[in-house]
Amino acid sequence: MIEITIDGIKTEVLENTKILEAAKGLGIEIPTLCHHEALPPDGNCRVCQVEIYDREKKKGKLAIACMYPIRKPIDIFTDNEKVRDARKSVIRLHLNRCPQAKIIQDLAEEYGVEPLDERFVEENDDICIRCGRCVRACEALGNNCLSFSGRGWDREIVPPFNEPPEGCLGCAACAEVCPTGAIKVDEKDGFREIWGRKFRLAKCSRCNEYYATEEYLKKLNPDEIVEINLCPRCKKAEEAKRIGNIIQ
Amino acid sequence: MILTSPADLEKYRRDLSDRKTDLKMRVRVCAGTGCLAGGSKSVYEAFLKEAEKHGMKTGIDFAADKTGCHGFCENGPIVQIDPQNIFYQHVKSEDVPEIFEKTIIGGETIEKLLYRDQKTKKRCRNEENIPFYIHQKRIVLENCGHIDPADINDYIVKGGYGGLSKALFMKPEEIIEEIIRSELRGRGGGGFPTGIKWKSALEVKSDRKYVVANGDEGDPGAFMNRSLMEGDPHSIIEGMIIGAYATGSFEGHIYVRNEYPLALTNLNLALKKARDYGFLGKNILGSGFDFDIQITRGGGAFVCGESTALITSIEGFAGVPRVKYIRSTEKGLWDAPAVLNNVETWANIPKIILRGSDWYSDIGTENNTGTKVFSLVGKVKNSGLVEVPLGTTLRNIIFEIGGGVINNREFKAVQTGGPSGGCLPADKLDTPVDFDSLKKEGSMMGSGGIIVMDDHTCMVNVACYFIDFLAEECCGKCAPCREGLRAMQKLLHGLTSGKAKPGDTLLLRDIAEHVKETALCGLGQTAANPVLSTMKYFPEEYEEHEREGFCRAGVCPDMYSLEIDPELCTGCGACAKICPAEAISGEIKMVHNIDMSRCVTCGSCIDTCRFNAIDVVRRGKK
Amino acid sequence: MHYISVDAMREVAETLNIPQSRVYSVATFYKALSLVPLGKNVIRICNGTACNIRGSPKILKAFEDELGIKNGETTEDGLFTIQLVNCLGACALAPVVTINEQVYGKVRIKDIPGIIEEVKNNDSDQSR
Repeated sequence: MIEITIDGIKTEVLENTKILEAAKGLGIEIPTLCHHEALPPDGNCRVCQVEIYDREKKKGKLAIACMYPIRKPIDIFTDNEKVRDARKSVIRLHLNRCPQAKIIQDLAEEYGVEPLDERFVEENDDICIRCGRCVRACEALGNNCLSFSGRGWDREIVPPFNEPPEGCLGCAACAEVCPTGAIKVDEKDGFREIWGRKFRLAKCSRCNEYYATEEYLKKLNPDEIVEINLCPRCKKAEEAKRIGNIIQ
Repeated sequence: MILTSPADLEKYRRDLSDRKTDLKMRVRVCAGTGCLAGGSKSVYEAFLKEAEKHGMKTGIDFAADKTGCHGFCENGPIVQIDPQNIFYQHVKSEDVPEIFEKTIIGGETIEKLLYRDQKTKKRCRNEENIPFYIHQKRIVLENCGHIDPADINDYIVKGGYGGLSKALFMKPEEIIEEIIRSELRGRGGGGFPTGIKWKSALEVKSDRKYVVANGDEGDPGAFMNRSLMEGDPHSIIEGMIIGAYATGSFEGHIYVRNEYPLALTNLNLALKKARDYGFLGKNILGSGFDFDIQITRGGGAFVCGESTALITSIEGFAGVPRVKYIRSTEKGLWDAPAVLNNVETWANIPKIILRGSDWYSDIGTENNTGTKVFSLVGKVKNSGLVEVPLGTTLRNIIFEIGGGVINNREFKAVQTGGPSGGCLPADKLDTPVDFDSLKKEGSMMGSGGIIVMDDHTCMVNVACYFIDFLAEECCGKCAPCREGLRAMQKLLHGLTSGKAKPGDTLLLRDIAEHVKETALCGLGQTAANPVLSTMKYFPEEYEEHEREGFCRAGVCPDMYSLEIDPELCTGCGACAKICPAEAISGEIKMVHNIDMSRCVTCGSCIDTCRFNAIDVVRRGKK
Repeated sequence: MHYISVDAMREVAETLNIPQSRVYSVATFYKALSLVPLGKNVIRICNGTACNIRGSPKILKAFEDELGIKNGETTEDGLFTIQLVNCLGACALAPVVTINEQVYGKVRIKDIPGIIEEVKNNDSDQSR
């Protein structure tokens, strides 16, 4: 166990605990954008800056909380002037790229960030902050239908060859984890459109609600017949009923 | 033929030495990228033809060798004649018959092909007399220009693989102790103590461990690594084998920049030869140690010179850096420990093992031992590769070795450390060049680029150039670098086109300082340096660009006016001839005149005038 | 620079058994790979620091004017592509231009028409 302080509060953590988790354990929230608890961290948005004071070297430096592993006793500051100043500078840059993204607007308001002047604004309706959560989600699901293409300012997230992805299952996990809503999903008349592809949605045989694409279900359970599938909620209900019957 | 033991190697070396001294006449033609561009291939072929004409058999009566880069590319093609070690420069194939007659057969020197010392006005016969070389201490570049990189025997005769011989029968801990004692620090620019890095790698228990050589030299204006990889590839290989043995690594990788095809060729050839002789493979020199090396070719990305990006690139992904809270020596290549060093660092290793850590630490200064290879380029008379002990001053390098500024123009600034470094003005010329001193002044040594700038250089334009470069090379992963550099680009383009708004310089500094603080990797973290250092030392230029739209150096288009000084103008007419807009008029031997209504501010006249007679003035000035 | 087609990328993905998304990511990241076909002769103008302060932007403009295309573009007849590239490591010969494997050092603006002619002649020599 390693003894640390966060914003003056003492605590003990296991070696290699990330600062973000350690802070959460104390109820201290550090703002994040590219971090998602179900996905491996990437450290690219640079919003979760904190200051680490090394007692041995007697020096403070900035680090990102979602990836910094605690390995020795340090003092962490999540909201001092230096941290706020750094965070503001990062938010200002995100705001410049994606002025229409609500989550960025909220952060800007919270931290009192003024946007750069109109010379710096390029496009007004790009709300992708390149956090890559969608890419990591698709990778985590083993589908790999999204990746970063290009380099530098032109870097963007696209399906392979910038064409509608052949392997996409329409599960929309990418859209779900996107913090700004940059991925468009259109659902209408039993169909879901995403990334330029159209998927037929399956209805739950119990509650009659659309709940997943047929492609997705076929991939999960290639042998089962789609028509008799249950949505997760109904599946739980049926399972609970079955267990209830067994107990009685 | 596999050499199976150190004794075997020694015997082979002695046999080779005996054989080589039989050949009386030898010609060494530089075949580095620079001299090849100057036509050295046809010079080499001319020598073979000439030998035939004289009835000499190449390899028996006469030897013609191709060597690697001497580092004196501006004076190429370079040819050296043995046994007198005569140094000829600017050699053309038409000169070869005369060289053969007069020098090779007649033993005389041809004056016009010798280097002429600008100070003493005397011609220099040998390399050792040339001021450019006298003040250098060539250790890493010892063999470059003297051996044929394609011939492993040349390397062996000069003592090659002797360091390996010795190391393989030392204990790994002993080798690491030697390297620690030598105080060798990483030559890629980071300056991390090499021995300490190796020690932490040795301490990690893993059945997979790697040694990696960074040959992705991407700093514009730097070609130290290129010459080393082209001219003496075995020194890098030998260093890696020793390092692998010392750290318990089983596989090596050399990452070579895509833009260096000759380096790739020569390294590949050297690896093959090393395997043929048993220096790579199983049971090296009978020690029981197995090891081999693979080459990865870069894809044209400056960011891949950053260690985590390089590793990611070797793994077969886009070369995007990783957050570096866990050291590569713990988890690096394919999640296993990796010892990553610059090729120049690796090249020092065999010599330290062979000659001892005391010999090495005696060179240089405290905490900055050994020599460093620098690329001295730009507006300097003697442009090329310079190897000197760490601690040598900038003044020494630029004026003693470099011969000062070309056309005798005024020195303005020197840029060191590539895009991660900064510009220093004239009053900092006595700063020692090492890992620590330049940093104190706001620049850094980096991988060794030294770019000399004269008074016809605009420092705001220089900052713009570097930010343009970095914005182009930025990988785009993290927001500060990706978005911040773009904003900085816009500001600098505004400043260098007369379209800046009041407060832009301050805003530029603000963004630059924050990018430095918050970026993910070294590229972003050091991107601010060219901007901040030029702002620190040349604040008046930023002010003039922002407030008046005036570029005092006469570089930024439409931001200045020109006047010919009637006291200095000799009426030679050179400016009028070169002016693309026909804006200059005047009679021969009479003071000339520039019509600013036609002038397109290209700056060609200022470059051409040998009398410094063209003044840069504010527009609207009469 | 090498041209890589979509079909080639698909094949790489299949042969190496890696996701197409990863192949596409790599192909679009590195400057050495191009997703559009290039001209027969690629003119690379070095924009390294030494070459830049010795006039590479003017050299670029001269090539652009001579061939009627801009940096990154290819001529209609498919003969030439112009690229402004990073430091080639021949700094002492600044300004440097390479065309295919041939390196031209200390290039002056007035040399450029002659260089283009030479390349055109070499081409027609080879096709004979």
